[in-house]
Amino acid sequence: MVEQAFNGLVSGAFYALLALGLAVIFGMLGVVNFAHGAFYMLGAFGAFVLLDSFGIGFWAALLIVPVLLGLAGVVLERLFIRRLAALDPLYNFLLTFGLALILQDVVRSRYGVQSQQYGRPGLLDGSLNLGLFEYPAYQVFVLALSALVCGLVWLALTRTKVGMIVRASTEKPELTRALGIDVARWVTPVFGFGIALAGLAGVLAAPMRAINPLMGADLIIVVFAVVVIGGLGSVFGSVAAGFLIGLISALGNLYVPALSQTLVFILMAAVLLWRPAGLFGREEGLV
Amino acid sequence: MKALGLSAAVATVGALLAGCGGGPGGGGGKISDGSVTLAVLNDQTAIYADLSGKNSVEAVKMAVADFTARYGDKAVTKDIKVISADHQNKPDIANSKAQELYDRQRADVILDVPSSAAALAVANQAKAKKKIFMDIGAATTELEGKQCNKYTFHYGYNTYMLANGTGSTVTKDGSKQWYIVYPDYAFGQDMNKSFTAAIQKAGGTVVKSDPAPFPNDNFSTFLLKAPGLNPKPQVLGTMQAGGDLVNLVKQYNEYKLQDKGIDLAVGLMFITDIHSLGPDALAGTKFTDPWYWNATPQNRAWADKFMAKTGKRPSFAHAANYSAATQYLEAVQRAGTDNSDDVVKALEGHKFNDVFADNAEIRAQDHLLLHDVELAQVKPAAEVKEPWDYEKILKTVPANEAFQPADGSCRL
Amino acid sequence: MILRLLARRPVLLALALVVAFALPWLIYPPVAMDIAAWALFAVAVDLLLGYGGLLSFGHAAFWGTSAYTTGLIALHTGLPFPVAIVGGALAAAVLAVPIGYLSVRLSGIYFAMVTLAFAQMIYFIVNQWRDVTGGENGLQGIPRELFGLDLSDPFLFYYAGLPFVLVGLLVAWRIVRSPFGQVLMSIRDNPSRARALGYPVDRYRLLAFVLSAALAGLGGGVFAISHGFASLHDVYWTTSGQAVMMVVLGGIGTLWGAVLGAALIVSLNDYLATAGFEETGIITGLIFVVIVLLFRKGLWGTARDLTAARSGRHRPAAVPDPPSSASSSERLDQVAERSGR
Repeated sequence: MVEQAFNGLVSGAFYALLALGLAVIFGMLGVVNFAHGAFYMLGAFGAFVLLDSFGIGFWAALLIVPVLLGLAGVVLERLFIRRLAALDPLYNFLLTFGLALILQDVVRSRYGVQSQQYGRPGLLDGSLNLGLFEYPAYQVFVLALSALVCGLVWLALTRTKVGMIVRASTEKPELTRALGIDVARWVTPVFGFGIALAGLAGVLAAPMRAINPLMGADLIIVVFAVVVIGGLGSVFGSVAAGFLIGLISALGNLYVPALSQTLVFILMAAVLLWRPAGLFGREEGLV
Repeated sequence: MKALGLSAAVATVGALLAGCGGGPGGGGGKISDGSVTLAVLNDQTAIYADLSGKNSVEAVKMAVADFTARYGDKAVTKDIKVISADHQNKPDIANSKAQELYDRQRADVILDVPSSAAALAVANQAKAKKKIFMDIGAATTELEGKQCNKYTFHYGYNTYMLANGTGSTVTKDGSKQWYIVYPDYAFGQDMNKSFTAAIQKAGGTVVKSDPAPFPNDNFSTFLLKAPGLNPKPQVLGTMQAGGDLVNLVKQYNEYKLQDKGIDLAVGLMFITDIHSLGPDALAGTKFTDPWYWNATPQNRAWADKFMAKTGKRPSFAHAANYSAATQYLEAVQRAGTDNSDDVVKALEGHKFNDVFADNAEIRAQDHLLLHDVELAQVKPAAEVKEPWDYEKILKTVPANEAFQPADGSCRL
Repeated sequence: MILRLLARRPVLLALALVVAFALPWLIYPPVAMDIAAWALFAVAVDLLLGYGGLLSFGHAAFWGTSAYTTGLIALHTGLPFPVAIVGGALAAAVLAVPIGYLSVRLSGIYFAMVTLAFAQMIYFIVNQWRDVTGGENGLQGIPRELFGLDLSDPFLFYYAGLPFVLVGLLVAWRIVRSPFGQVLMSIRDNPSRARALGYPVDRYRLLAFVLSAALAGLGGGVFAISHGFASLHDVYWTTSGQAVMMVVLGGIGTLWGAVLGAALIVSLNDYLATAGFEETGIITGLIFVVIVLLFRKGLWGTARDLTAARSGRHRPAAVPDPPSSASSSERLDQVAERSGR
């Protein structure tokens, strides 16, 4: 039971990283990035390509891939997202939807639809004794690292000047601008950072999940549900909901297998009924 | 109400017109419009593209070339065309394209058509248009069961065959207690049923069988649960396919279940899946394969020819497409015509051996191809001598045991 | 000259009807039927997006639910197919009530995410519930029963299916032109103002959502009868995406554009099947990117602007960006007057 709960948190770690990236991007730009799942997929493929073509292993990939994808995000924001910033956010949603299709298909036409090989890093191949139970070391690592990243992002948002600006413009965009704070300067880096988080999740997924062009396509829909449950524009809510949904899904698999696929969506419906702004969102986010 | 009236009126006019034209062209001539057209309708861009896809079109072209070379001037026709269409794994496109291939492109036979919804839809078109359809890509037993018809043939593999060989052999080899995890949709549910039946028949028991979400990337719930079941299972049977299978096997290895005395058996595995995971991740895993490229010198010779054309080793689906095209042309040759009813007669009950199918028979009652299949085991990386050399053949399951007996659910 | 003539509504309408009736002579009849069914689906999405400002990324749930319901009615009751199609559309509308009730509480981008998530839920239910739906095998062998008439020829069936589509399109057109449609557009342009004027914004949106779902369902029912089966693909999110793509390509908020978009995308898919070109996803993705970046008014909107510029006439932009508050409030006041508020 405790083991099962722990397992749920591991899969929650992926939801949390992806939801966090979506949330900061949404907060800063008002853009829902449909291509987030595609960048997660590119993260995993990035790790694979680094190893397969350049002999660069997991640990280096953990750094290189998010940085490269973050840069790609910067370029994307400058070239396209920015042009549509003044318009209805639906246009950027559609743009990133198109982008997701393109990215998936580019990878598919290069590597095919079959999954690619990627092993676990040697250091984390064994099991760890966690007191109550033994657990695969790699999964413990995934959980620890993503918790650390989420924690650091939280600290950065609450303790640094940049973070204050980001949070202020996330939560009260008009007021922040009215105070003469130069929000625009931070838009591009924040977008890149959100993409880098998706890339990081992808690299972490490479040793334990199937690496193929469609790995992010269905996942992104669940992550959307996670963000809605967590709360509109709430960074903390997204992370909390990520871990929570991981936990509930794992226990759902165990106790109500017939419902396991629909559970997330049922939860989403319940949250919408009870608190339309999400568990940690504010009502003013509603129009 | 207005809408109903109008459509009824239009339909009445339509019915009057229908008498004048249309309807499937009758037989009579030996080879209709002088040529035989084979159409490959499959997924060339989505999830089945690697397994079959464009290279199956190549395989069919090879079959035509070999047929022409074999009969020379004695061939019933020299004008044999191969055409193809990509249904992009969308059943509605498969359905429209099948009609178009039969009606406008004058296809005499449609081949392949992966994934069951598309296959069953095309089977209905074949029935309506009285044209032949040989399905290779779909696993559902409905094709030779309730939804069978006179013009549809199921060629290569099905869920029963996959489950039966592995389930009974592994059980007879001493792993009596099973824990089954299957994806909760039609394919997985069928596989679970067939596997359970095979295990029980061989004297084993299924300790538990759990449905898993589909698609799913976290199987830890089931892997954590496995060692604690009572009695403890000796083998974990997974019915997952494709990406889900890769996820499950990666995580199976993380939890080191093999060290805990729980072996892995896989319901459906393609050679591309072994390639995705690397042989070591699966070393020792047993599964049923309809055909393996390196099983016999004959297979290998064909695989070499295929590789010269495509640069790849063939999957069983490629070989099955070759075989189906060959057997279709042979039937046309025997019948002396491409008239569907005559070709169906020539195919029914036909017994043969070719590079894909050994001791093969096209069962007359339900149009299922029976043939010998292989029980295979994944080699450890150390024993892999060349690319794609992943399988060791443990034994051959004879044709009459490999497939289900005709249960009478099919009325042709 | 010709352009100006074409831009007149009666001429346009007459031309469209001629094309609609001539279509199976021009292209392969089953493809013609697909175009008609998808056109209605796209118009339903446009009704919500272009006139209600709500992007539903989950309309496959309604299209597909109707396809399955239509199929089940036709298969198990033996009733004539028109009854089955109407039943399917009703089922879609019924499903839209709870989904809409929950979704319209969120607007803008969240509405898109939530509808997508609900549609995925429907997909999972259809996939798992194989005793009823056939699961991944699909619901096969749906008959085309109509008082014993033989409609197996797709050419004839086109004329039996077309009336449903035309009625659906007419309904959509009437909705847009009705006082209800005017209020809907005002809500799209300025929800707070509409609320301040005392309009129950959520109820208007919900009604629009249900009507749109019913129209999508009507299309889905025709599609199911035409193909003789319903499959999981009908409820998958790529189907929702394709309907949205048709609207974006044709032009948001034009209705005509949705029809044009449907014709183009269905023809494109049909062409790609035999073109020997593998990168279908890249093409579809590029259509989105290019249209959104360069031709936000879509083909129809751009063409209309061009002809309007030539003939010197000005038509109000129906595309929701940028919202012109003046016109919308005027519109709202007019409606308020008319309805005696």
